[in-house]
Amino acid sequence: MPDFEPKIVAFVCTWCTYAGADLAGTSRMQYPPNVRVLKFPCTGRIDPVFILRAFQKGADGVLVSGCHPGDCHYMAGNFHARRRFAAFRALLDFVGVDLNRLQFSWVSAAEGGKWVEVVTELTERVRTMGPMPEFKELEHEELWSTFAGAAGGKSAVLNSPELKEAYDSIG
Amino acid sequence: MNARANKNHLTSIEPAYYEAVTEAIRKEAVKILKEETVVGVVGYLPGRRKGTATPALVTSVEEAEKLIFSPACVNNLSVYLTKAKKGVLKQGKVGIVAKGCDMRALAGLMTESQLQREDLFIIGVVCPGVYGFGVERTGTLTEANIARKCRECTVHMPEGADVAAGTHAELADLTPEEAEEMARIEAMPQAERWAFWKEHFSRCIRCMACRQVCPFCYCEQCLCDKNRPQAVESSPRPAGNMAWHLVRAMHLAGRCGGCAECERVCPMDIPLNLLNRRMAKELKELYDFEAGLAPVEKGPLNQYKEDDDQSFIK
Ligand code: SF4
Ligand code: SF4
Ligand code: SF4
Ligand code: SF4
Repeated sequence: MPDFEPKIVAFVCTWCTYAGADLAGTSRMQYPPNVRVLKFPCTGRIDPVFILRAFQKGADGVLVSGCHPGDCHYMAGNFHARRRFAAFRALLDFVGVDLNRLQFSWVSAAEGGKWVEVVTELTERVRTMGPMPEFKELEHEELWSTFAGAAGGKSAVLNSPELKEAYDSIG
Repeated sequence: MNARANKNHLTSIEPAYYEAVTEAIRKEAVKILKEETVVGVVGYLPGRRKGTATPALVTSVEEAEKLIFSPACVNNLSVYLTKAKKGVLKQGKVGIVAKGCDMRALAGLMTESQLQREDLFIIGVVCPGVYGFGVERTGTLTEANIARKCRECTVHMPEGADVAAGTHAELADLTPEEAEEMARIEAMPQAERWAFWKEHFSRCIRCMACRQVCPFCYCEQCLCDKNRPQAVESSPRPAGNMAWHLVRAMHLAGRCGGCAECERVCPMDIPLNLLNRRMAKELKELYDFEAGLAPVEKGPLNQYKEDDDQSFIK
């Protein structure tokens, strides 16, 4: 896939990683422009649903990054986030999401270099993996289209030609 | 003990056992109502159709004498204390009939400060099991009609209840169907797992029964109902469904008591308890947390240790 430019969404905390990314910029370090940075007060504010939404709306990779343990501006936000994301990873894995598309990191305000490294590594990894179709496909599917492959039972009831026709005629 | 010896042989639980439990519940409920220890008792009354039961809040001795326990008593009644009959707790102490798995929910709700132990009089049921979905309700519990969750139950004995109704009885040699199904899914290649869940989630009609029945889904406003900004698409389409199920599993992680009520009420037969169990397993492995019969200070996702695993973080 020569022309594939991955879309990476980075959820970062304002106190450490955002400042770190800023440092990378003011120090004129180069990193892939594929990353879109979204600033939050704390990693503890980054809800797993944001990650899902990013994937649904077209992200091929997601980065979540905040202060190193012990450095949290709010004392313990990142410790709580660490547990929550450990659990969330297990859930995503269980439903069949490739965890290579989701990266977590601690990047402090002084670590412009580490920010560059993390972003570059994730971008290049996702580039070799290609686009992430799973969540995006769901966005464009209706119930009956996924039912087509479903085996019999009650699901087949909803997969009637009439419904399909009605749906197609919506234009 | 005899109970132990029996345990290895039982292939059915006869109606007599449930009748004995029923008697014990009635006796206790009548007593605490008469003594005015409680303002009411949340329990089960016979349903209108034969072989069914219906949850009820009874406040008089006459009604209490009609309480039952049978394999049809599937509901986890603790949900009545956080939702439907929440107000009754304001009037005084409330009695509640609880099976072991329901007691885990009560314990969890105490952990979350939604209930106080001293406000409850728990009539624990020594529970051999309840009916599964769509089975023949013969009055006798056997391997053929027992619920899937009961096959792997570890809380037949409701320890920590104020009184326990029943003696020890459980069926022997049940295959752990749910654990086997979990292992099967975990062994699938990743793409197959995605296909498996995608098919299941796509069928979801977003009736929200799974949420309404869950004692822990007591949020005044569910994240999934919010539309400004909208976090999860609310129409029953595959995209929103996937998000809803992941959000639900996440919100219940470390809290779910494993009553499998969400799965029981799902009209589309989506195996929700597999997700609950997967999360429970992870939290056990990572933080050595297991939902138990007694409240704890904090749930696993409401606390942290400085040296928690962070091998996945760069
Ligand atoms: S899981 Fe255990 S306590 Fe709960 S209904 Fe089944 S046998 Fe009874
Ligand atoms: S799904 Fe989450 S937000 Fe909604 S009621 Fe349950 S716990 Fe609350
Ligand atoms: S998530 Fe399901 S199994 Fe867990 S407590 Fe709620 S209803 Fe029970
Ligand atoms: S009960 Fe079943 S169909 Fe209804 S919202 Fe829950 S998972 Fe979907």
